[in-house]
Amino acid sequence: MDSRKNLTVHGLSVEIRRGDRLVRPVADVTFELGRGETLGIVGETGSGKSMTGLAVMGMLPAGGRVTGGSIELGGRDLLTADPRRYRGREIAMVFQDSLTSLNPTKRIVDQVAEPVRLHRGASRRAARDRAREMLARVGVRRDGYPHQLSGGQRQRVMIAMALVCEPEVVIADEPTTALDVTVQAEILDLLDELRAQRGLSMILITHDMGVIAQRADRVAVMYAGRLAESAPTAEIFERTRHRYTRALLSSIPTLAQDRGEELFSIPGSPPDLARPEPGCPFAPRCDAASDRCRAELPPFTGTFACWHPVDGPVASADRGRFQRGETGETLLRVVDLVREHPTGRRTVKAVSGISFEVAAGETFGLVGESGCGKSSLGRLLVGLDRPDRGEIVFAGERVTRPRRAVQMMFQDSGAALDPRMRIGRILREPLAIHDVGDRRERVRRLLDDVGLPESVLDRYPYELSGGQRQRVGLARALALDPRVLVADEPVSALDVSIRSQVLNLMRRVQAERGLSAVVISHDLAVVRYLADRVGVMYLGKLVETGTTEEVFGAPAHPYTAGLLAAVPEGGRTGTPVRGEPPSPVDPPSGCRFRTRCALATDKCAQVEPPMTSLTGGHQVACHYPLQEGRDG
Amino acid sequence: MARYVLNRLVVSALVLLGISAVVFFMLHLVSDSPGRIVLGQRVSPEAVAAFDHQHGFDRPVVVQYLDYLERLLHGDLGRSYKLNENVSTLIAQNAGRSAMLSLAGLVVALAVAVPLGILQAVRRNGLIDRTATAVSYMLYATPSFLLGLALIAVFSQQLELFPAEASQSHSPWAVLTDPRAMALPVITLAAGSVAVFAQYQRSSALDQLGQDYIRVARAKGLPERLVLTRHLLRNACMPLITLVGTLVPTLLAGNVIVESLFNYPGLGLLFLNSLQREDYPLLLAYTLMGGLLTVVGNLLADVLVAAADRRIEVRR
Repeated sequence: MDSRKNLTVHGLSVEIRRGDRLVRPVADVTFELGRGETLGIVGETGSGKSMTGLAVMGMLPAGGRVTGGSIELGGRDLLTADPRRYRGREIAMVFQDSLTSLNPTKRIVDQVAEPVRLHRGASRRAARDRAREMLARVGVRRDGYPHQLSGGQRQRVMIAMALVCEPEVVIADEPTTALDVTVQAEILDLLDELRAQRGLSMILITHDMGVIAQRADRVAVMYAGRLAESAPTAEIFERTRHRYTRALLSSIPTLAQDRGEELFSIPGSPPDLARPEPGCPFAPRCDAASDRCRAELPPFTGTFACWHPVDGPVASADRGRFQRGETGETLLRVVDLVREHPTGRRTVKAVSGISFEVAAGETFGLVGESGCGKSSLGRLLVGLDRPDRGEIVFAGERVTRPRRAVQMMFQDSGAALDPRMRIGRILREPLAIHDVGDRRERVRRLLDDVGLPESVLDRYPYELSGGQRQRVGLARALALDPRVLVADEPVSALDVSIRSQVLNLMRRVQAERGLSAVVISHDLAVVRYLADRVGVMYLGKLVETGTTEEVFGAPAHPYTAGLLAAVPEGGRTGTPVRGEPPSPVDPPSGCRFRTRCALATDKCAQVEPPMTSLTGGHQVACHYPLQEGRDG
Repeated sequence: MARYVLNRLVVSALVLLGISAVVFFMLHLVSDSPGRIVLGQRVSPEAVAAFDHQHGFDRPVVVQYLDYLERLLHGDLGRSYKLNENVSTLIAQNAGRSAMLSLAGLVVALAVAVPLGILQAVRRNGLIDRTATAVSYMLYATPSFLLGLALIAVFSQQLELFPAEASQSHSPWAVLTDPRAMALPVITLAAGSVAVFAQYQRSSALDQLGQDYIRVARAKGLPERLVLTRHLLRNACMPLITLVGTLVPTLLAGNVIVESLFNYPGLGLLFLNSLQREDYPLLLAYTLMGGLLTVVGNLLADVLVAAADRRIEVRR
């Protein structure tokens, strides 16, 4: 690694004015980026991490301007330079993949070729050749239009587009957030490889501590627009100084932690940047805050900005423990469920013969990559959709339509709450539909249960924070005293510090009410934390089920093992699953996982492996399971 | 794609058949005895009956319709009661000029509205945007005959820049050969569409400006002008294509007013005159053309959008 500094940002402050509202999303941010180095900038929504990247690109949104500090690239001042001279040429940016990141009406090759023509004045043909070369380098071998590619391929195209003019610095803003862990690992590997090969410097902006731990040389932790802490990666994790970093690290559910223990959670939510308070921005949420913290802004020492830094190991705060609830008789039984969605000439086989049972008081977790059919299954469970074949039996009765006893909590409560209804009405609505009396009193109790103040009743959804909305989503699902709660990605849209609050809440409420739950998530750590038993889904089928300890501790299906290995968390072994699953329109014959399995043989292509028991309730559908069963 | 177009054509033919039936029966309700119209009020009922019998107008209406359809398939649109000329000949004489007028109006409207709408979106809520929006609504609310009269008053009578009458040339190319005389009719015809198109284009461009690919294009280092022309333009025009397709027949209607106001010999004027003369075969043909244009306009728009946007899966 070359030690010369490439990009230097000193005391950067940004201000955005919109009408009368003035926000300071970035305040006094300083960092240096050496040649070939990766700097991770980590923080929650609104921490200013993305805005810092945009400031370096000279791409602040309308009304935004840099009010102080400097940005230098190789000794050259970028703030006074014309951004079009270095943008895309010396500094390039890779954005989070979304369906709209590529122009839908232009061929991919032409989109990648565009910077070459622009910055190198190449002819159309030469630029296209260069683009094809670059696309081949990132592993995209087909041309066409963006909608013909998968999410992972689109992200590769984005990378090719950023690197095609061989910039010195690349800023990757949440490059893998929209992707599955399996694809995430591939994309990060690709970025790392290209970085090493070309001596690129990289700024990796993410909220994911696991990604940072694996990929960054140095880490800058941002909170409320300011640097909280900045240090080499190992130090951040081993000798954390700032209270916020400490709290953040403790609140992430991991695959290694004790499931019986409550997650650490940071109370409250981040401050409003339009109304800055004196003192340390984290003080209102910090358990070590003193009067000084509330009055005086702690200066950034070069590694951290905190009046009462953590020194040495902190005694783990007394966290509550969960009583493992009693589980009773089978409450929900799913038998051979099949659901296919015809789209034009083709049929998407979303759910292809799934069976499982959930006992009273038990939480069943469903994990799998996007497109494996887990959300389709969730909709079937609550009766929002009807199966083509098979049946769902609740307390001995077939479920054919939505019913009171089975309620759903949605992923994005922002979208799932009617924007024109006040929270009070949203919560009373299900009660009114089912003509339940005493609504006001019930709603008050619900709010109490989910930890919301009564004042939210008169507010509209947009006036609440993401965490508060998710609590409303939970309260609404609980309004009718259901016996089964189906939660589809309940915390995926939330920031880490809020996520642990909601996860704890879900477990507490569930234990108190003796509620059964089906938790659907792509996040293995979330499922592990919430679920008693787990089912692993692949292309519409369950490939493994068992208790959480069995499935996570001793995975028997190569897919389960590969998924676990793909999670960016230090110290895991095994070969991660790579690539993306085949299309559910035309799933592979025999074992559907065989096309991505290292152990696959001819038998796997011809004979579909049946679900077989290993020990007790641990079942696997594989010809060559990784765990020995008792009987064979 | 070819299959898609073929399927749409079959459906279009069925729609046209439906339109012809509805129009035919409605006209029959209004007047079941053309003899009275052709021969005038002073002729005896016997003579009218004889005329109707001679031309088959006393047969059951369904038979008359089928007969009409058969002739229609042979390209025979019937004969004008009053002009003593084949309807198809009359239409052929006038259609070219009307089409050129409509086309010129459409081209002018698009040439103004597309850039204006994008400019408005880029400078959202700025002075240009607010002014353009205000003017658009005013234009939209102004009936075209009023606008035409105002234009004549100002540009023809006061400033004497343009003549008040459109070119009387029989060539369909008058718009090109005699642009001065055609300026006011074309502007009058275009004004109303500009208002609608620009507002449509503005909201569509705003929509696209918020998309991530625009941000990506800027991150490539493209100058804003190229971001707009290379990336925004095509995507922002998609909804407009559909709109223009559905508006094609209203251009024909707009012609009625503009052609009569500026005394431009085209289909609109022909229609207006035949309306006054109760010349039903001509009215029937004109209405059928309206239907034809509606169907063709929509079909064309769908095909164009499908060709421009590859995400649209062409299905049966």
